Amino acid sequence: MTDISVIDERPAAPAPDGPAVRVRDLRMSFGGTEVLHGVDFDVRCGEVFCLLGPNGAGKTTTLEILEGFRPPTGGTVRVLGLDPAAQPARLRERAGMVLQECGFPRQARVAELIDVWRAYYPNPRPLADLLDVVELTGMRNTQVRKLSGGQRRRLDFALALAGDPDLIFLDEPTTGFDPEARQRCWAAIENLRGLGKTILLTTHYLDEAERLADRIAILRAGRIELCGTTQEVAIRAGLATRISFTTPSALRRGQVPRPAGIDLAVRGPESVCHTGNAALTLRLLLAWAAEHSLGDLDGLAVTAPRLEDTYLQLTRDQP
Amino acid sequence: MTRTIRLAARQALLEQRSFWRSTEYALFTFAFPLMILLLIGAANVSSHLPGTNIKNTTVFVPGILAFGVIVAAYVNLGSKVAVLRHDGVLKRIRTTPLPSGAYIGGLLVSTVATAILITAATGLIGWLAFGAVPRAGELLALAGGLILGIVCFATLGLAVSSVITSAESAGPVAYASFLPIAIISGVFDPTFSGLPDWLSRVVAAFPVKSLAEVLQNAYAIRPFPAWDLVNLALWTAAGAAVAAWRFRWHS
Repeated sequence: MTDISVIDERPAAPAPDGPAVRVRDLRMSFGGTEVLHGVDFDVRCGEVFCLLGPNGAGKTTTLEILEGFRPPTGGTVRVLGLDPAAQPARLRERAGMVLQECGFPRQARVAELIDVWRAYYPNPRPLADLLDVVELTGMRNTQVRKLSGGQRRRLDFALALAGDPDLIFLDEPTTGFDPEARQRCWAAIENLRGLGKTILLTTHYLDEAERLADRIAILRAGRIELCGTTQEVAIRAGLATRISFTTPSALRRGQVPRPAGIDLAVRGPESVCHTGNAALTLRLLLAWAAEHSLGDLDGLAVTAPRLEDTYLQLTRDQP
Repeated sequence: MTRTIRLAARQALLEQRSFWRSTEYALFTFAFPLMILLLIGAANVSSHLPGTNIKNTTVFVPGILAFGVIVAAYVNLGSKVAVLRHDGVLKRIRTTPLPSGAYIGGLLVSTVATAILITAATGLIGWLAFGAVPRAGELLALAGGLILGIVCFATLGLAVSSVITSAESAGPVAYASFLPIAIISGVFDPTFSGLPDWLSRVVAAFPVKSLAEVLQNAYAIRPFPAWDLVNLALWTAAGAAVAAWRFRWHS
């Protein structure tokens, strides 16, 4: 319990371009039943990474392994260069954790509790700063038991941030909240991102993943189905950008040829095409329109592939 | 090491502040032993132990001191840790680098502080209302007995917290597991007698009567409580072993 040994053995921080979290072939079994079947993903430093999946997919189990609460059955896990199962104490100095359903000492006051938490860490963030990030400055002298659910969750964030961690784990941060509380939690998470923290969050809400995440991994039944940016995930799931415009009367009447190299469907008043390369298709379309004096194409609309479509497609045939 | 001690002190301070902030809880924790002291004491004020010139109250007051120690250390700490576990506060502590020794140490220090305040109030009122004072030269023995009792019942409180499965049952389990023993140990009635021989032996094996007799010895000349001291030490060891073996950070 000497402070010296802790400092001496502390490994160098991972290189700024190395991943904050590296998971390779992660396997977990409970009583002979395998619930994670070889999960791989990286979380890059400074990004918000979202593990998205339906209930029971293995999100919380994965997180508990990364947090050092459970040793995995197989595979390798590195968090900030540390092995969480072997070095939990050192990991907890540098990673903040927000678990599902974790209580507070009921009679403690907001600022008092944050201040006690700050004392647990070698390099805490200033109190005023923490209150500010989670927008609880006005509640600093309120007893914890009098806070609303959303306020408690933001206090969770403040406690997880107290040690000025490099990485923050958020396990289903807004489950069960009303829309207003969710918006404020999201704002607080955006504030955490603004501080340059790497954030790994789990959720089963699509809009949450879409709103917050830089990259998403879809976990289903213990496997990563897809991983990438919101758009990459949607495209890789076989969904494309949709481009539509009001069918010009000359086209409808067959007075101009169809644009070459584009799979355009003329559906009465509307013309639609799907593409994996929106910029190229648009350029071709507009050049074609100019060539045939069709103007700027009335009602031109470009719709990015939506995560929801991907997600529903993937989880529809859930076993 | 100094960091652990500093953090434990900080934790103890938070616990004490929280305790006094829940006024109702603090008030009743204090009022319970003091009310019993005044009400039962008033009924015994003019009587003596059979065949002696020792006033009943001289033995009764240290009995209530023991009762106060048990309420503060065993009931309070045991039910508090059960509630902290049930509420997920212990689990949250595990997400921080706080050494577990510093956290448990802080809880224990706060418990000791509460127990000392309760026994000080009990002793003071016992003196003012009934003239019960420790024997000359026995103050140190009294202090030693109190500390041993607090440590013993605090470890038993930690141990019992592990078998309590819900926040709702924490208080009832903690009280029901010692009040009957306290009654047949004669804590509330110095002249209590007439137990069958086997039951007397059972009662003597529990730490409640042992603590009462150690404290009573500091107030009135009784047989030196050698067995009682050994018994308290044994229960402390057993409590610590069960607490270490069964302690869980989550429910």
